[in-house]
Amino acid sequence: MLVSAHHIVRAAAASVAAALLVSGCSGPFPADSQGSLAHATGGTISVGATTNPPWTEISPDGAVTGVEADLVTDYAESIDAEITWVPGSESVLADRMKDGELDIMIGGLTSKAPWTDKVALTRPYTTVRGEDGTTEKMVMGVRPGENALMVSLETFLDDQDAER
Amino acid sequence: MSPTVQSETAAVSGHDALPHDVQQVLHQAIRLEWITIGVMVVTIAAVGLVTGQSQAMKAAWAEDMLTLLPPLAFLIAARRLRKAPDRDHPYGHHRSIGVAHLVAALALLAMGTFLVVDSVMSLVKVEKPPIGTMALFGHAVWAGWPMIIVMALSGIAPVILGRKKLPLAEKLHDKVLFADADMNKADWTTAIATIVGVLGIGFGLWWFDAAAALVVSISILRDGFKNLRAAIGGLTDTRARTVDDKEPHPLTRDVETRALATPWVAQAVGRVRDEGHVFHVEMFVVPRHGKAPSLDQLVQLRTALLDLDWRLHDVVIAPVPAIPQIPARD
Repeated sequence: MLVSAHHIVRAAAASVAAALLVSGCSGPFPADSQGSLAHATGGTISVGATTNPPWTEISPDGAVTGVEADLVTDYAESIDAEITWVPGSESVLADRMKDGELDIMIGGLTSKAPWTDKVALTRPYTTVRGEDGTTEKMVMGVRPGENALMVSLETFLDDQDAER
Repeated sequence: MSPTVQSETAAVSGHDALPHDVQQVLHQAIRLEWITIGVMVVTIAAVGLVTGQSQAMKAAWAEDMLTLLPPLAFLIAARRLRKAPDRDHPYGHHRSIGVAHLVAALALLAMGTFLVVDSVMSLVKVEKPPIGTMALFGHAVWAGWPMIIVMALSGIAPVILGRKKLPLAEKLHDKVLFADADMNKADWTTAIATIVGVLGIGFGLWWFDAAAALVVSISILRDGFKNLRAAIGGLTDTRARTVDDKEPHPLTRDVETRALATPWVAQAVGRVRDEGHVFHVEMFVVPRHGKAPSLDQLVQLRTALLDLDWRLHDVVIAPVPAIPQIPARD
């Protein structure tokens, strides 16, 4: 039991009130800690991509194609954002995600991806059977702490799934 | 039963050491502890389903699991207590309460330390907790809402159970039950801290979560320290204290007062230690004019002390020529 119950209630009420003030009672809920979604909407969004066919393929001229590349392109269109593609290996991209240089990361990531301390993984948007017969849950990476962006992307992926 | 026919082992022990109405209380407490375990298992499952990557939720989940320890310790000790004393266990098995208390306290302390370090690390390393959506009945809802609802619900039952257990712990003079009831009663503060943490994430304030987790883990740590002190105090034969450990137990004074009221007693100093539920009394008496008391007088005094309270379970009278001064601390 910490301090008194009374103090906790007071502190709780004060913190919620402070949170409301800081967030200005406007904008999406949940909100981004760095405003990535607001920045991307009608602006640019940085997407890290790792070659991993059929999910992501990067041609020598820098064009990014593949299942996930198409999904992200459609998502960016839905929020009127222009994509800045950043190619790289998973570990390099994960570090850049943590540093806040990228908004989204793709390349056939599964729910078992080891980058959870640097990258927020979305809810699986589809399940596939791997070559060895195990099922893989396909996810994308989102800049951690950017929960508005995460909810927005997850909702988009849900809708795509429903259309298919 | 007259004291003269009792063996050299600690009178009767096991459940027989408790009078009928106190046994009734013990049974009630055992039933409440089983209910607590049932409620906590359901809570742990529900919280586990919605936990996600929130640090505060993880801490709350760990605390919920730790809440199982004191009831388990109590139930194991209550079972052990049924055994009667024998040649190898001349004092009976009351001390199992103290051992249970120590084990539960150490577990709280270890887990509290781990969680404090973990929360501070996630603050230092700027780990921003992601909370995305959750598919609920075909709809995508922000996963923070189910967390908040589950935490709010999880805070209710323990508070009710804690309030019911507290008076039983006092009647039974059971420190494990007391610690358990005390933790249960404070459980809603954990729920509120966690909800504030999750709401903070919702408002884009990532550090709210780790800060809330820190609050929860410090409360676990404090519970651990408080209980460890009490448990070690009991096991190292400090003067018997009240069930909340706030002051020396009034019976420690009452036995001396009663002994002094005996005409042949000039001076009386008692050593009263807490065996768990019951007290063990060694009463040193200096007879008037250095005249040795008769066996009858000794037996009468022992019976008088035993009759004071059921907690005074095991009383030894030692006539001595003089009593050395023991410095008093409180």
